[in-house]
Amino acid sequence: MIARINIWYLSSFLISLIVAIPIIMIFSSFFETTSEYSLVLKETFLSEYVINSLTLLIGVLILTSIIGIGCAYLVSFYNFFGANFFKWALILSFAVPAYIYSYSLGAFFDNYGTAYSILNSLSGNIISNSTIPKLDGMFGAILAISFSIFGYVYVLTRTSFHYQSQNLIDLGKNLGFSKKKTFFKIILPAARPSIVAGLSLVAMETLSDFGSVSFFGISTLTTGIYNAWVTFDDLTLANRLSFYLLMFIFLLFIIENLSRKKAQYHTLSKSGFKTKTKINLKGYKSILAFSICFLVFFVSFLFPVIQMSYWTFLFPKHFFDLNLIDLLSNTLILVILSCSLLIALSFISNYGNRITKSKLLQSLTTFSISGYAMPGIILAVAYISFISFLDKNIFIFENYNIKSFFIGSIFGLVIVYIVRFYSLANNGIKSGYLKINYSIDESAYLLGYSKIKTFKNIHLPYLKNSIFLVIILLLIEIIKELPITLIMRPFNFDTFATIAYTYASQDLLEAAAAPAIILILISSAFILLTSKYILNEQS
Amino acid sequence: MKFVLTIITTLSLLISSLLANEVNVFSSRHYDTDIQLYEKFTNQTGIKVNIISGEDAALQKRIIEEGADSKADIYITSDAGRLGLFDAKGMFQNSMSPLIIDKVPENYRSENWTGISKRARIIFYSKDRVKNNEIENLNYEDLSNFKWKNRIAIRQSNSIYNQSLVASLISNNGIEKTKTWTEGFVKNFSRTPKGNDRAQILAVASGEADIAIANTYYYALMLSGQKGKDQQEAARNVTPFYPNQGNRGTHMNISGAGILKNSKNKENAIIFLEFLLSKESQDHIVKNTFEYPIIKDFDSYELITNMNLEISFKEDLLTPVGDFAKYQPDALRIMLQSGWK
Repeated sequence: MIARINIWYLSSFLISLIVAIPIIMIFSSFFETTSEYSLVLKETFLSEYVINSLTLLIGVLILTSIIGIGCAYLVSFYNFFGANFFKWALILSFAVPAYIYSYSLGAFFDNYGTAYSILNSLSGNIISNSTIPKLDGMFGAILAISFSIFGYVYVLTRTSFHYQSQNLIDLGKNLGFSKKKTFFKIILPAARPSIVAGLSLVAMETLSDFGSVSFFGISTLTTGIYNAWVTFDDLTLANRLSFYLLMFIFLLFIIENLSRKKAQYHTLSKSGFKTKTKINLKGYKSILAFSICFLVFFVSFLFPVIQMSYWTFLFPKHFFDLNLIDLLSNTLILVILSCSLLIALSFISNYGNRITKSKLLQSLTTFSISGYAMPGIILAVAYISFISFLDKNIFIFENYNIKSFFIGSIFGLVIVYIVRFYSLANNGIKSGYLKINYSIDESAYLLGYSKIKTFKNIHLPYLKNSIFLVIILLLIEIIKELPITLIMRPFNFDTFATIAYTYASQDLLEAAAAPAIILILISSAFILLTSKYILNEQS
Repeated sequence: MKFVLTIITTLSLLISSLLANEVNVFSSRHYDTDIQLYEKFTNQTGIKVNIISGEDAALQKRIIEEGADSKADIYITSDAGRLGLFDAKGMFQNSMSPLIIDKVPENYRSENWTGISKRARIIFYSKDRVKNNEIENLNYEDLSNFKWKNRIAIRQSNSIYNQSLVASLISNNGIEKTKTWTEGFVKNFSRTPKGNDRAQILAVASGEADIAIANTYYYALMLSGQKGKDQQEAARNVTPFYPNQGNRGTHMNISGAGILKNSKNKENAIIFLEFLLSKESQDHIVKNTFEYPIIKDFDSYELITNMNLEISFKEDLLTPVGDFAKYQPDALRIMLQSGWK
């Protein structure tokens, strides 16, 4: 054990510990007292909050599975008109944050909303509000969240389908399976680990969502957290509730891990790989496949983009009011700093885990990545409390002020981003590492390569795709991140997301459209530039 | 580490000495038109206004934890209860200059904070579906009567404006009576609470409810045409009504500001507050956010009358807005217990 403790071990231990600090702070709430709100909550709406959270979660999981797996299946196994376009176009939905999707749904379907205006100007004022369906409440939230994050399921499942060997499909044929049976008995089970991985990301985002849930006014556990903190001034209870949320997500992690272990049966050896021949769809089948993909593309991407563009053209003033250069440079600084740090840290941590193979280290890493499942605001507040605690008890310098260095600075903001998004970076790099066989490392050491040289000359080239994927995911997350940016930022520091929020919170969704559309366009551009890496079709 | 800290401290001291003439504002009232107002202030006084806007609870937490090192000078928020609660934690200092005391009615300020604009939380009703004798002399208290069953639209209980309204009822009628009231009131909802105040007014326009409770400026925003022609038309079909005119007056709330305990630019902060209470600024606020001005003897009321809202209604000046802070937790508790989602 002692022999294993080297610089790699220590540094990856340290990284995981730092990332875990806010989570530990949140856990410490169990040693503090809470207000009477915990009783009020229990006797009134707690069970309803839990049921609503579960309903939302299950609804989103079902919808994202259907859309994600369905589209991935169509574009991976069939040739039809537009198949190559949809292959990457469906990833664009990633560029639309769930809260902006919610604004669009609300704006379109509400009383006297866009749908009402359009229908009445076409029909000559005969449509009443009651004839327009109201996509709000629980249904609206499920739609908004699903269509903005089904991409996780789609991308991962598609990659898995893409590498499925023709042998598997032939096997189905030889056994006399119908297409349907081949799909459910062979293709789907083989892709299961990827689907589960995608769904667990979906689950974490859904449970930590504040924006859509509060926009549609459905009361979930996050409502309870918010009420506890804001009205009852009871941060302790808010932290405890967040921790319960985290425990639930841990359960999902464990299930995912178990299913991954099974997945090893399915990893394929390159030698047996036989490229799939895609089935050509003709006639109505081709039209049907096209329509399904187009519908998903339209609803997930074109609809919010059109609604936001419509407003931007209607009220161009808000667009010209934006200080584009400032906003772009702020966004770039945050993205570059966070990405480079996150990737560097994930490398160190993964490499440390790889060469030490320590169980303790692995469990600490698993624990530390759960920050992704916490509402961002709770994480940021825990971080602020921690810095304040350090300042009071440990770093007592007369002339130095660690608080102004760590709170309200770009540096502090980036640290909280790191805590929040460490799981994305770490898991991305980890999945790349899993593909590199340990025997390669051992051969390198035998050839006299140092650890650094092994990393640079052997691991890095292998991991190029994973790095690109991580960068693009982080970029999208950071551009749209809201609660952490709001609270941690320095004076006079805005991003597209904070501007959109500011307008939306004063009931000017029309004005929020301009920053929202730019945010979507930037993310889309990056997605397009790197789509071949996201689609993982390099080799 | 020490070396790095030295450099950073020196640098930050250098920068802050260059920009010493400033005032740092933490605000959860984020109107972009406020920013234009602050630019005017900088042009007039040469004092730079630095802003961080965000959610109330989060901003307050940051100010508290930053403690003596906080750079914040002023905290602005749009609910009297939130100001009062923050004040109760000892976060403000006495900041009321004679000018402020002179300009702002006593009910809308304390020793440590002052209102900068005010709004009335009133009733909006459909003239087609609500009879004259039903709406005449109506009080908030009457809305628990079963004759309003399935007729009322109001937003959720986690709305701070609703919590302050119920807190003002507790302040006047006591907890027990108010609890009976919320129980009856919730039974009269025409739909599960959802959406913001504007959505409630639109619910009346579209026939989903007969009366709505909402803040005045949401209505004015629609009438102004900023939300498009259809909503302007919808707002015209709804009539504002000011409750409790026969007794204490209509429930009022404020946007307010206070100078923080650890402010490093107190003089600038006072100049800033006084500027916000100048006729010019009040005029700017009324014109852009459609709130009521907070200062006495203000004559730029045209806009409000154009917006179909009343000027000479009776405001509730008897219930201290500071009481909202005291009763907000009780208010939310009884709202939740009565099944108000």
